[in-house]
Amino acid sequence: MARISLKNVDVAFAVDAYMTRSLKTTLSQFLRPRRRAPQVIHALQSVSFEIHDGERVGIIGPNGAGKTTLLKVLAGIYFPEGGEISTHGHICPLFEFATGFEMEANGWDNIRTRALLLGMGAKEIEHKIDEIGQFTNLGEFLNIPVRCYSSGMLLRLAFATSTAVDPEILLLDEVMAAGDAAFIEQARKRMNDLMDRASIVVFATHSLNTLPSFCGRTIWLDHGKVMLDGLTAEVVSAYEAAVADKNRPSIDLAAASDG
Amino acid sequence: MFQAVSENNHKQFFKEVIQAARLWPIWMRLGLQDIRMRYRRSSLGFSWIFINLAIFILSVGIIYSYLFGQNLKEFLPFLTIGLVTWNYITSSIVEGGNAFVSSEGYIKQIGIPIYVYLFRFFVAITITMLVSLPAFLVIALIYSVPFQLGVMWVLPGLLLLAVVSFLLIVIFSLLNARFRDVGHISSVALQVLFFITPVIWPPEMLSKHRLGFVVDFNPCYHLLELVRHPLLTSHSASTLNYLVVMLLIAMLLLVALLLSVRYSKRVVYLL
Repeated sequence: MARISLKNVDVAFAVDAYMTRSLKTTLSQFLRPRRRAPQVIHALQSVSFEIHDGERVGIIGPNGAGKTTLLKVLAGIYFPEGGEISTHGHICPLFEFATGFEMEANGWDNIRTRALLLGMGAKEIEHKIDEIGQFTNLGEFLNIPVRCYSSGMLLRLAFATSTAVDPEILLLDEVMAAGDAAFIEQARKRMNDLMDRASIVVFATHSLNTLPSFCGRTIWLDHGKVMLDGLTAEVVSAYEAAVADKNRPSIDLAAASDG
Repeated sequence: MFQAVSENNHKQFFKEVIQAARLWPIWMRLGLQDIRMRYRRSSLGFSWIFINLAIFILSVGIIYSYLFGQNLKEFLPFLTIGLVTWNYITSSIVEGGNAFVSSEGYIKQIGIPIYVYLFRFFVAITITMLVSLPAFLVIALIYSVPFQLGVMWVLPGLLLLAVVSFLLIVIFSLLNARFRDVGHISSVALQVLFFITPVIWPPEMLSKHRLGFVVDFNPCYHLLELVRHPLLTSHSASTLNYLVVMLLIAMLLLVALLLSVRYSKRVVYLL
């Protein structure tokens, strides 16, 4: 049974860790110690929730609310500074579909590499590779290096491969689809199939109107804190009310930047 | 600067290494791909590994053999195997040290244990070294170096050398992620080390001038001997060589442990 459990998870980014640390600054700090308060951004503050088998959970919130950070904690990419996290089930993060692509290698090779990185086994890959190749609709182009692909072709390849996984826990960040109209339709269907196969889906999004059709539960994050966690309809209307409230004095700036 | 509160002890290092090792289909594929990509669009391809070595060996070999009054028959095989081994150590530090920095895109997007990327570089560097080994065989055949069964002593030597290489990759990738200057410092240090290590000159030369200690206290010398001595003489390297290398491995392991306890969970934040 797939399960996710977070207890008081904190994630902080030290700003000076982001600035490249050189030996010089460290040495000078060592020779002439200056006490300075490290500048810290609290990306997540004491976030707690549990997600059980079968749940579809949306994450909403303004830019910089910590949505991506939360997904990356769930994916095991960021290690929380405090709190506990436990997950059961194979986790499959789909953030950037093309990570792991090698421009000089051909389409088939890239499908294999990407599939391995997503956690597929060798047998599973051989089993699925024809179907993936077919979905890309790239035909002979799969035999040439992907550096010769157009961005639309690259997207098809990346999308087809990434959506072929059978994840227990699927993490999605702002599902995007581009390409020609026919592909968008196919892509939507394939995405829905993928989400149906997963035991748990957690996805961050800005598109509030499609949310209710995807998931029953939604978590609203702001400044790294859980503002509200509950039924999608309730959370979305509370969030919209808060955004509208914030915007009343000024003009619709925040809403525009949110889109 | 913040500290990871989550438990992070010495066992963690071995756990992470083993977890990553289990994902061998991934790092094998990526490592092999890295090698293929490096030579893909060049018309000479893999031959560059040999051409590189051949040019260096011929120019250095001929000049230095005159300079030091060395016999080409002995000097060239000595020089070739020394260079192959030395290049392996150097690329572990210089190329391998970039394992995390150049895998940033992977580390931030795919949640697999980050030590996978260390193995990836280890594979690429080790295979490049193994591919260049036949260059020694060619030189050895030309100058008819006698091989006996004792030449098998090279195998434990190569194994220990590979362990050192892996530990160097661990240490320098972690250091590089934290201090970006380390790459530059280490390439300067390696240049100096190259000249004080008996790679292009035979170790006996210094002992004649009572400078033997420069060689004896240089762990790189002992490391080179583990591979060089069996291949040139068909006998095992000296017990001292093995002891020093064991000691070196113990020390590198300790450093790797300390660094990984401190930094491995922070690598993603440091990139």
